[in-house]
Amino acid sequence: MSTWQDLVTASLIGTERAEVPATGIPGWPAGEALGQDGRAGHTASQDGLSGQDGLSWDPAALLLDQAALLTVARRAGRTADEAEPLAAAGPDPRPVASPAAGERLARILRGDHPDLLAEWLRAAAARQLRVPAEVLPALLDRCRRAGPADPGLRRLVADAGGTRARWLAGLNPDWKWLADLSPDPAARAADAGTGEEPGQRATGARQPGDAWRLGDIGQRRGYLAALRAGDPGAARDLIAASWAAASASERVMFLRVLANEPGLVPDQPGLVAEDEPLLEAALDDRADDVHGWAGYLLATLPGSALGARMAARALRSVTVQAGTQGSYLVVRPPAGYDPALRRDGISPGPAAGRTSLAEPTRLVLEIVARTPLRTWADAFKMAPSAIVALRSGTWAPVLFTGWSRAAIAQRDQEWMAGLINEAVSGHPPGTPSETEALSQLARRADPALGGPDAVPGPEPGVPAAVRNAITVLRFRFDMLKELEDDHSDG
Amino acid sequence: MLALAPDVPSQRAAQKLASPGSWPLTGARAGADASAAVAADAGGGTGPPAALWGECRGSAAVPYRTAIDLSGPAWQCSCPSRKFPCKHALALLLLWADGAIAAGSDPPAWAATWLASRAAKASRAARDPDAGDPEAARTGPANPEAALRRAAQREQRVASGVAELDRWLCDQVRQGLAASQQAGYRHWDDIAARMVDAQAPGLAERLRALAAVPYSGAGWDGRLLAEYALLRLLTIAYRRQDELAPPLRDTVRSRIGFTVRQADVLASGQPVKDRWSVLARRDTEQERLRSRRVWLRGRESGRYALVLSFAPAGMSLDDSLTVGSCVDAELVFYPAAVPLRALVGTGHGEVPVGAPPGGTVAELLAGWAAALAEDPWLDSWPAVLTGTPARAPRPCLYDAAGHALPLHPGAGPCWPLFAVSGGIPLTVAGEWTPRGLWPLTAWDDGGRAVPL
Repeated sequence: MSTWQDLVTASLIGTERAEVPATGIPGWPAGEALGQDGRAGHTASQDGLSGQDGLSWDPAALLLDQAALLTVARRAGRTADEAEPLAAAGPDPRPVASPAAGERLARILRGDHPDLLAEWLRAAAARQLRVPAEVLPALLDRCRRAGPADPGLRRLVADAGGTRARWLAGLNPDWKWLADLSPDPAARAADAGTGEEPGQRATGARQPGDAWRLGDIGQRRGYLAALRAGDPGAARDLIAASWAAASASERVMFLRVLANEPGLVPDQPGLVAEDEPLLEAALDDRADDVHGWAGYLLATLPGSALGARMAARALRSVTVQAGTQGSYLVVRPPAGYDPALRRDGISPGPAAGRTSLAEPTRLVLEIVARTPLRTWADAFKMAPSAIVALRSGTWAPVLFTGWSRAAIAQRDQEWMAGLINEAVSGHPPGTPSETEALSQLARRADPALGGPDAVPGPEPGVPAAVRNAITVLRFRFDMLKELEDDHSDG
Repeated sequence: MLALAPDVPSQRAAQKLASPGSWPLTGARAGADASAAVAADAGGGTGPPAALWGECRGSAAVPYRTAIDLSGPAWQCSCPSRKFPCKHALALLLLWADGAIAAGSDPPAWAATWLASRAAKASRAARDPDAGDPEAARTGPANPEAALRRAAQREQRVASGVAELDRWLCDQVRQGLAASQQAGYRHWDDIAARMVDAQAPGLAERLRALAAVPYSGAGWDGRLLAEYALLRLLTIAYRRQDELAPPLRDTVRSRIGFTVRQADVLASGQPVKDRWSVLARRDTEQERLRSRRVWLRGRESGRYALVLSFAPAGMSLDDSLTVGSCVDAELVFYPAAVPLRALVGTGHGEVPVGAPPGGTVAELLAGWAAALAEDPWLDSWPAVLTGTPARAPRPCLYDAAGHALPLHPGAGPCWPLFAVSGGIPLTVAGEWTPRGLWPLTAWDDGGRAVPL
């Protein structure tokens, strides 16, 4: 009795060397190939393979004919397998984002404006929408590639993906990181109270605060961020108590957690006025990184003493003058570098190749970037949109870049809108630093600016930098509108 | 002008190509009355007809050569497109309509030859009014005798190609398939090329696909033997086609590579009217030809249909059937033992619909077995199942009775299917093949069709 496997084995060896297995197919005439069609040797002779009479056949043809019959019989006789069912995913009460929003998320993951991924996720989470399930695999893959270096993104994915994302991640070892994150912000706050997170249970830490006392820097950051979300003052006290014993990189981590950088906990405010003494003290830190961060963060804190010091410097350097063709700005760079500048976070010399501007220019840029934007409107008695349009000759790129950085750091929408409008309808960016500043503005400004009527459409001949900025604004406007639409639909 | 285009993608493609920059060489010849010649059918008889020609720079090293006889109009192009007229001919017409082609030159030799044969035919047609159909003019000799002679010639070529394939298949099994794994793709490309020469493109396509089998993982030897065996079965069926019932004969001939013209299908087939659910769509690309398979199912008849469309690589495919929608249409099926392939005749608007009713694994396998009994070469069968995906013992989809079918290894890990399911039963449409189920569409809990 021949089986399929016998035929396969014989065909692998070849009928020159192997016997054709005796047929076990019911109704099969012994020793006949199909091609012989009843008339002895007809086909075989036609093909020049003939023997003498009806018993002549080519073993290869016979094998193929048996294989054809068995192939079709095996295909038609196919029976079902058995499966080991999976546990079902938990319910997610949130409505799903619309197909259009899901399609845009898929586009972002395919490389269309990939840097807007976090904004999509944050906007969806804020509207209590979940990610359409079919996009989750690409989203989890993207996070895996982003790596643990971006804990904020993983957190966002876990929140927007919900129970379905956690269920899916349990099926693929590549996505194990998601299962190690705790399920939702409420549970995280509870975790913070007991000091227990699922990931820490695995490492054996059981006592409250173990993550803080025994964990690595990532676990300490997680503990501190959760504490900050639940009780900002307690987190500040813990930092103050731990400051002296912490390494420089941990001190930087403390400051970033205080400022909720980079979006570790969605919807948590960053710095509060009560944080200022701690940050002001950090300005005297030995480590460049630490006082650099402290200076940067204090410049974003409304009403800080550092902001006032910067404002004084800025108004000494930049003044407005009346001219025959309207007002214009005059810039006089500071005489030179001084230790007070270093203390306020402006380090001496070019900062790690970030800028190629000459030293006086760089100092003006750094000062303007740290100056509270209110300073200008108060001193010049003008609206931001008028200030950014003032002529300033060769200093224009420096001021545009400095104001852009300040507007982004201080989250000042009025200034961002003024700067974007100036670049789009006034003077387009001409230097790499202006181009970069505009590109950042387009990503941070209120997406309403991307609405059909808010910013003039890209006319033919506009510089690429302006066209790109408008494209980004429009993309963000459409993106948020798609998510908004869902919200109103419920 | 664009009304001549066979479909919308052709129009778009032609408009893209209709810029003088794509055409290093163009020329036109005025006929007796060039402007009237396009409208009037018979430009022949009064001297050489008006004509256009041009060389279009495409992706190939050699430019495509396009010639148009404006008296037909009739066209010829060296491009491989199966559309008629192709985008090159359309683009040339658009350029001409824009006045971007200078008239008054003599056609180059390649165009002159074809135009001369057109002119000769036209003068013959003027004598024999029955043969003046431009369709007939393009497909070959304008008289039935010559058509029969041509058909007989092709039949002869195919028959000798089929005999050669039979010998080749037996040789493979005589020498042993073990050698095939080292043979490389040329092994199959050579025999496939000979089947192209023998005017049996269906066989050629099947053979070319075999080159991947030795690298398809464990069990490749069994899969290769099965394919060889079914090919031999096809050669036998072709030789004995006179003994076969007409539908099976149509199936055999279509698998060999004999095509049926759309016009003939539409003229001879019975239209089937129904509301057709668009179940699934699958795009593939090979030999620089993109093809799209769209699976439909009649909501009243429960009947399955497959609509194919083609486009050159880089061009967009026909987008008119949207997965998850329902179209009220008359379909005409190609003649076959298991009629699946169909043309959409008259149709009215697409409306979105929810998930179609899903079947069980037992029903799917029963339908598959019944179809195989009619057409043993069938290698994919439409599947609409209500089931739940699982990962063990291997990725599969199981129904309420616990009957599971493996997912096709070529479909990858199918994570989107799992994501949409979440371990909960859902409706899945796809293609069932001997290697497993290739999932193409899933309907989520909101009844939305998600292409996988």
